[in-house]
Amino acid sequence: MNGTRTANDYKSDLKPIWCPGCGDFGVLQAIYRALTAIGRPPHEIAFVSGIGCSSRIPGYTTAYGFNTVHGRALPIAQGIKLARPELLVLAAGGDGDGFSIGGGHVPHAIRRNVDLTYVVMDNQIYGLTKGQLSPTSPRGLKTVSSAHGSVEDPVNPLMYVLGYGARFVAQGTPADLSGLAALIEAGLRFPGFAFINVLSPCVTYGRADVQLKAHKAMMKSLDALGHDATDRLQAMTRAAEYGRQLHTGVFYRDPDPSPTFEAQIAGRHRAMAALGALRSRVLEAFVVS
Amino acid sequence: MTNDLAIGMAGAGGDGVIAAGDALIGAAARLGYRAIMTKSFGPQIRGGESSFRLRLGTDPVFNAGGTLDVAIALNWTDFLRFGAELPVDGHTTVIYDTASRVAPDDLPLAGVTPEDAIAVPIEQMARDHAGTDKAKNTVVLGLLAEWLGLPADSLLAGVRKRFAKKSVEVLEGNERAFAAGVVFAQAHPIRTDQRLAPPRAAGAGRMLVDGNEMCAAAAIFAGCEFFGGYPITPSSEIMQWLSREIWKYGGTMLQAEDEIAGIGAVVGASFAGRKGMTATSGPGMSLKTEMLGLATIAELPLVCVNVQRGGPSTGLPTKSEQADLFQAVFSAHGDVVRPVLAPVSVADTFRVTVEAFNIAEQYQTPVILLSDADIAQRKEIVDPIDTSAFTIVDRRRPNGRELEEYVRFQITESGVSPISYPGQKGGNYLASGIEHSERGAPTANGEIHERMNEKRIRKFNSLKSRRDLFTIEGDRDAPLALLSWGSVAGVAFEAAAEARRDGIQLKVLVPRLLYPVSEEVYEDFFASVRAGLVVEQSYQGQLFRLIRMFVDVPRGLASFARSGSNPIAASEILHRVRLMVSTLQRGNVPETAQWLE
Repeated sequence: MNGTRTANDYKSDLKPIWCPGCGDFGVLQAIYRALTAIGRPPHEIAFVSGIGCSSRIPGYTTAYGFNTVHGRALPIAQGIKLARPELLVLAAGGDGDGFSIGGGHVPHAIRRNVDLTYVVMDNQIYGLTKGQLSPTSPRGLKTVSSAHGSVEDPVNPLMYVLGYGARFVAQGTPADLSGLAALIEAGLRFPGFAFINVLSPCVTYGRADVQLKAHKAMMKSLDALGHDATDRLQAMTRAAEYGRQLHTGVFYRDPDPSPTFEAQIAGRHRAMAALGALRSRVLEAFVVS
Repeated sequence: MTNDLAIGMAGAGGDGVIAAGDALIGAAARLGYRAIMTKSFGPQIRGGESSFRLRLGTDPVFNAGGTLDVAIALNWTDFLRFGAELPVDGHTTVIYDTASRVAPDDLPLAGVTPEDAIAVPIEQMARDHAGTDKAKNTVVLGLLAEWLGLPADSLLAGVRKRFAKKSVEVLEGNERAFAAGVVFAQAHPIRTDQRLAPPRAAGAGRMLVDGNEMCAAAAIFAGCEFFGGYPITPSSEIMQWLSREIWKYGGTMLQAEDEIAGIGAVVGASFAGRKGMTATSGPGMSLKTEMLGLATIAELPLVCVNVQRGGPSTGLPTKSEQADLFQAVFSAHGDVVRPVLAPVSVADTFRVTVEAFNIAEQYQTPVILLSDADIAQRKEIVDPIDTSAFTIVDRRRPNGRELEEYVRFQITESGVSPISYPGQKGGNYLASGIEHSERGAPTANGEIHERMNEKRIRKFNSLKSRRDLFTIEGDRDAPLALLSWGSVAGVAFEAAAEARRDGIQLKVLVPRLLYPVSEEVYEDFFASVRAGLVVEQSYQGQLFRLIRMFVDVPRGLASFARSGSNPIAASEILHRVRLMVSTLQRGNVPETAQWLE
């Protein structure tokens, strides 16, 4: 749209609070690249997050940012998009935000299909609160809040959203920065709710086997595996390997996406505008005839 | 003849009790009477007992309360289930169905012997004339038309409207049932003091509306562009009305997955520059508080309606109470001032809802609108409202110069800063629930936190001097006072009027603005007061306690409060006022508890 914009146009003056080596730095870089590729001016972008290390991310961009409360990025992002459908709306947060305290909002964002992109920085641990068990922490993990090891199964974020009917599902890692930027860009361009799980390592509280170096060794591109991203069942088969395999790329992209929520209500608005209702005369409906 | 008539009726589900009430109040509105009608139901989802009470008058009516002048029991079991909601005394004319096989001198009313008790073969007449017992309510309308002196045409118009889409047989059957009721009543006249005096003027332009619908319509008038909510009794009708109407005005509504998401979407819409509202009750309000805190620190305007019901927790979902005042005022962690407003009637709901939006916009804050189940669910005949007298306030936008180097949370003299919206070039900023600098940068710095708290609280100083958000009536120097709020204020107004007719010097204060507490308004009011009552429907007397937290009140000010679902009658207030008068005459200012004896 605007070839003259550079990544610098999207970088704010705030210095990230993240630990050196945090995966979220890579996610931020990927977001700069994706936004640059799309080229919308920063004031036409709303970037919403919840609470957690990763949810600091909107402040590091020049977009209109909203660092909200824990788990509630999606309802707020939907309100923004419905209020101003012309905006590009990006939501982000951690795995605790998206799959624990805010987990109940995800299915509804999916079925409502408001056009926004949700990036979850999944580090499988609670970093901001210093190392407690997260909803995607593996069984057996010992943390400060699971001193004897977790006895719970983790949430599989990919199965979670595919099961609820998500129309765009992808996974990336900052270990493949250009791949991740391309996925975020594809999500932003997808007409509807798009979900991107990013395995973003926590250098301070995360396990050694999930750091960027390990990602580099483990990651397998779905494209290279000949994955058919138009097949939801095949996507679920691959998604079921979350935690054992590190697949990157698009798991599922609805080849024929249904209209978004806002597209449908735009039609309703057009039809009802013809009635010529005036706010100043709203009480007339109650007058006794 | 009387100028004021309270009618109550109860029956089983399917008896059409509510339809009869609707026909009566509709006719009253067309004829030029004033009226308030409340409905009450058993706990069943369908088919349970139902009742209405209708207060009908030639002069403005403040509440639906008081002992019934006319009581209609389609069957006694259902009538008695409503207990104190349908009170009967010796003066009441009791009409009941002979099918109950109860003798007029042996009514199942403990300790009460009504002057007039008339057994009418209501069910039999419905079958004989309409061929179905479904026309029982129409028979009753015929009886009342004759007995109360309401023009039959006007009532029949309502009946015809109701059956317009039914077959000719159904309509004619009901017309015959109505006529039979009239004929029966002509043959069995009742005391003439139960006949309603003619209306003072025709009712042209008057509205017939309930509190929830009025709130929703007022929101549209005030410029509401977005509604997010979740169904909950007794507030759902606000969302339902908007789900039908808001689109016509270019607005959008969202029935969210839960209460949090409902207000969350409103917070988002407000951030995006649109006026928004959410509505809830009881447990839903508990869930909203997280987002209210966010909207407070991010300084985003929104209106959160709480239609109060009995609590705590599930409490009494269909009954009115005023026990959420403490919650509205204090339900935030951190140092917060959040405006709380309450209307006193359906008519007042229009003005107070518009004020709520205006205050939200002016001060960039969430505003809590405390309606209650009584106002929300009752139908009221409302005088025409001159909407041209209202101003609509919009949030302060940054001008071109301010956008050159935009400072979203700039500390200004008023405490209010210019607010941009996504899409506005140059206005980019970070909104956040985390404490932030004037420019919106996250911080944990104590000095900045102190300054921002000061800004966010100082900005409400001018709100506290809004004397127009209080009704103060009566003699300025009166030694006696009544204070009340919400739906109960209507009872206090009535009691005060009656006290003044008895020559008692009494003044009344009813706040629409409950918080922040305006110290100066109360202190001025209390200057002459030696004794008084704060009348409200909560066990603890929450307004009484809230005022005392901020204002030194006269020693003789007492709380007259009781839990929801227990109506307060004007006569009870009056009784206490008379006690105050006699005590003051003896030269005493008693200990507060004494008023309650």
